[in-house]
Amino acid sequence: MTTISKEHSDRLYWLGRYTERAFTTLRTIQKLYDKMLDKSKGYADYLKCFGLYDSYGSNEAFINSFLYDGSNANSVAYSLERAYDNGIVLREEISTHSLSFLQLAKDSLAKSELSKNTRLSLLPLEDQLYAFWGCLNEYIYNDEIRNIIYIGKTIERLDLYIRMAYPFDTTQKEYIRLMKNLERAPKGTPYRYNTANYSELVKIMENEDGYKQNSEKVIGCLEHLFEPLEVTV
Amino acid sequence: MKTLNFSFSTKLTFDDYVHDHSFALRIIPPDTESQKILSCSLNISPGVTTKQTVDAFGNNVTAGYIQGDHRFLDFEIKGTAEVDSSKHSTFLMPCYRYQSEYTEPDDELKKFYVELKDKYMGDASEKAAYFSDILSDIIEYKKGTTTTATTAAEAFALRSGVCQDFSHILISLLRMDGIPARYIAGLAFCDGETHSWVEYWTGDHWEGIDPANNCHVNDDYLVISMGRDFRDCAIDRGVMFGRYTQQLQLVRSVLS
Amino acid sequence: MTQQNIEQFTKAVGNANEINELLRRYGVKFGIYKNGVFNEQFFPFDPIPRVIASEDFKSIEKGLVQRVNALNEFLFDIYHEKNIVRDGIIPENFIYISKGYLAQCEGITPPNRIYSHISGIDLVQAKDGEWYILEDNLRIPSGASYPLIARELTRIAAPEAFSENEIVDNRNYAQLLKETMEYTNCGGIRAILTPGRYNAAYFEHSYLAEHTGSVLVQNDELFVEDNILYHRTYSGGKTRIGVLYRRIADEYLDPLNFLPESLIGIPNLMEVYRSGNVGIINAPGNGVADDKGIYYFVPKMIKYYLGEDPILKNAPTYLPFYEEDMKYVMDNLEKLVIKDVAEAGGYGVVFGRELTKEKLEEFRRTIIAEPRRFIAQEVIDFLDLPILDNGETVMRKADLRAFVLSGETTRVWASGLTRFSRNPDSFVVNSSQGGGFKDTWVLK
Repeated sequence: MTTISKEHSDRLYWLGRYTERAFTTLRTIQKLYDKMLDKSKGYADYLKCFGLYDSYGSNEAFINSFLYDGSNANSVAYSLERAYDNGIVLREEISTHSLSFLQLAKDSLAKSELSKNTRLSLLPLEDQLYAFWGCLNEYIYNDEIRNIIYIGKTIERLDLYIRMAYPFDTTQKEYIRLMKNLERAPKGTPYRYNTANYSELVKIMENEDGYKQNSEKVIGCLEHLFEPLEVTV
Repeated sequence: MKTLNFSFSTKLTFDDYVHDHSFALRIIPPDTESQKILSCSLNISPGVTTKQTVDAFGNNVTAGYIQGDHRFLDFEIKGTAEVDSSKHSTFLMPCYRYQSEYTEPDDELKKFYVELKDKYMGDASEKAAYFSDILSDIIEYKKGTTTTATTAAEAFALRSGVCQDFSHILISLLRMDGIPARYIAGLAFCDGETHSWVEYWTGDHWEGIDPANNCHVNDDYLVISMGRDFRDCAIDRGVMFGRYTQQLQLVRSVLS
Repeated sequence: MTQQNIEQFTKAVGNANEINELLRRYGVKFGIYKNGVFNEQFFPFDPIPRVIASEDFKSIEKGLVQRVNALNEFLFDIYHEKNIVRDGIIPENFIYISKGYLAQCEGITPPNRIYSHISGIDLVQAKDGEWYILEDNLRIPSGASYPLIARELTRIAAPEAFSENEIVDNRNYAQLLKETMEYTNCGGIRAILTPGRYNAAYFEHSYLAEHTGSVLVQNDELFVEDNILYHRTYSGGKTRIGVLYRRIADEYLDPLNFLPESLIGIPNLMEVYRSGNVGIINAPGNGVADDKGIYYFVPKMIKYYLGEDPILKNAPTYLPFYEEDMKYVMDNLEKLVIKDVAEAGGYGVVFGRELTKEKLEEFRRTIIAEPRRFIAQEVIDFLDLPILDNGETVMRKADLRAFVLSGETTRVWASGLTRFSRNPDSFVVNSSQGGGFKDTWVLK
């Protein structure tokens, strides 16, 4: 018999979000790294996507900050730390095994900072995050628990993809994933969506034009998707 | 022996909504050798289901939980009791021989006791009466100088206080003298709120004394709860959540 | 187990230092506050195990079962009839001045009359091989999770050590704990109550929750309604809790019955407990039995309740409370160890031989002024254990915390937490004071 408290469900949700944020940021930074080989300040567009000011000056400074700087709230290091922070209070739900991959990922990132070849040193980190997700599937027997993590994960991914203006077909795949996860959330739980935001989201994501014209609205819908409905008397 | 009709009510009002409110009331008078509760009804508002238990000291505990938002908690007891102060309880818990949180003396109170103890010889009853006499001479009955958190030592240093403080100081002195003593919260004729007095162990039974009025306890005293000190006897205790500053009103009456 | 075996094993594990790597990976940490800052430290593991021969363990086991059974009888007696006081075995004031005695627990009978479900009994072995009881921990003894996970990892790092030696498998602790919890269950789920992740033993709370299939909870997830303890679910429902393995101290357990300022307790939990609707592990009020002052009387309890001679010895102890003992303590203060009965965790322990003349005199006066506050013990000549320190084997002081679980029967876990001092001059092995731990092998 399982019983999930509000506190733990929040933790599960944010575990999903932060792990995904660490993962997608890691992959994006690696792509940017590749781009920067041919271009100085190759990160300018990326900063623009997130409305961030360029205080870096060089490719190297940007990479260092977005990978390793724990005080940069958009860095891999920060997201991993937050993911671990949520994970550590979920040991009995996600298992010691799953949690160990977040510890290993943190250790790999710390090692990578000292390494001479950034790209190579990041490979194990990516593997460990994949292993973390594999472990969650392996060790969590309760679908309700796993689904909360996945809702967090897909919300985060969708949010990042939209901000980075990913093409419609890629984004739509993630959107469909989210819809499936949402349908699994039992009624009466906080992850049973707010119907107003939900229907708006569905309407916009119906076709490519809607998505292109209303991407900011989608982000807003996602942000408020789990807000309780206002009751009017 | 006397038949008393009693009623007591408390209104707790909050200036903002509170929720997840757990409370424990020690308000239903217990049946003891010296008092028999013939009838007693308890009303609590907002309506909530409660459960009764009896705590280690023999007090009736009414526990409840209000989850939703509310701004007040009112409770009222009404009933009839038969009081016979010539009968006595004869069960002694050894912990009453030892100082407790509120009665632990400081150096000044210890010194006071040492100076006092050789001036009078006698049995427990005579000693209790003597200590009570002395206290009524040197401690001024005055509201507002102490709070429910004031200890015997603190009230003694102030040389003033209310019935609770008189009880704590007397208990402290009796226990220093090796006489087991306990704190009583209850209703009496003398004032409009709850009253407090003391029971001491004579060697084979409990006997009441009212140090705030410096008199013996008679059939006009109804025990609501007893314990080592005020802390075991608080009429109501609660934990709640919300932004509020608490307000408390007390109304009560005892009729013969 | 020969010395050669040990060295072989050490080579396999210690030099590679793989186990500490693995412990890190699995997050085996304990929290520590220093100057108000919270830090998580990895608990240093020493690969050389403490080895206890089968025969030796059998006698320890018998002695521990006997001791814990007597302590459980004592707790029931103290909170009910108090015969042991009436019969003059223990002076009354030792009970009622003890901070661990809780008058609020008078008259409460816990499920199946068990008070101490998980007892952590600290022992040391003297150079002559004799085992002595140092301390009983009957409130919330911690530490079982460390050897538990360490064994799991040493079997990975040094498989040959286990195939070549006949070592009792200790990985049944979670199962023992689960059975103990179930035996006390009053109907509902099993829960472990933690004060939160910034508690020193948080790793243990979460690890034991995972491995016993219990829900790890904090107080704000719980509430009491109609004398039932509930876990509040995220969908607005509630799940009944039948047994609560709480890892917070008695005083904080219920703000309506104990410290009103407690922010980590559950209001009205004691009413649920009193009504027999929840089992609390360990029972509130146990502190009266593991008080350092009461320790002196445990051998007498064994005789009194069980009519048996104690199998395990106490360290020779003196109570300055007794005139005769006071005289001995005053005459021999410089060779004794003095313990403040109110302190724990290695604090409040003073070795007479470490004091200057002035300090000794000052301390003498303190003891005379407050005889009930102290106990004095002979310093036991500990059997030192080999520790690996930067590749070299050095000898250090160590103790053993044995875990005794009381359910349908009283059982001793065939392992334990061996803690050692890293400082060569220190007798203090507590993790909060920088000590490390070893695996404890009981041979078949």
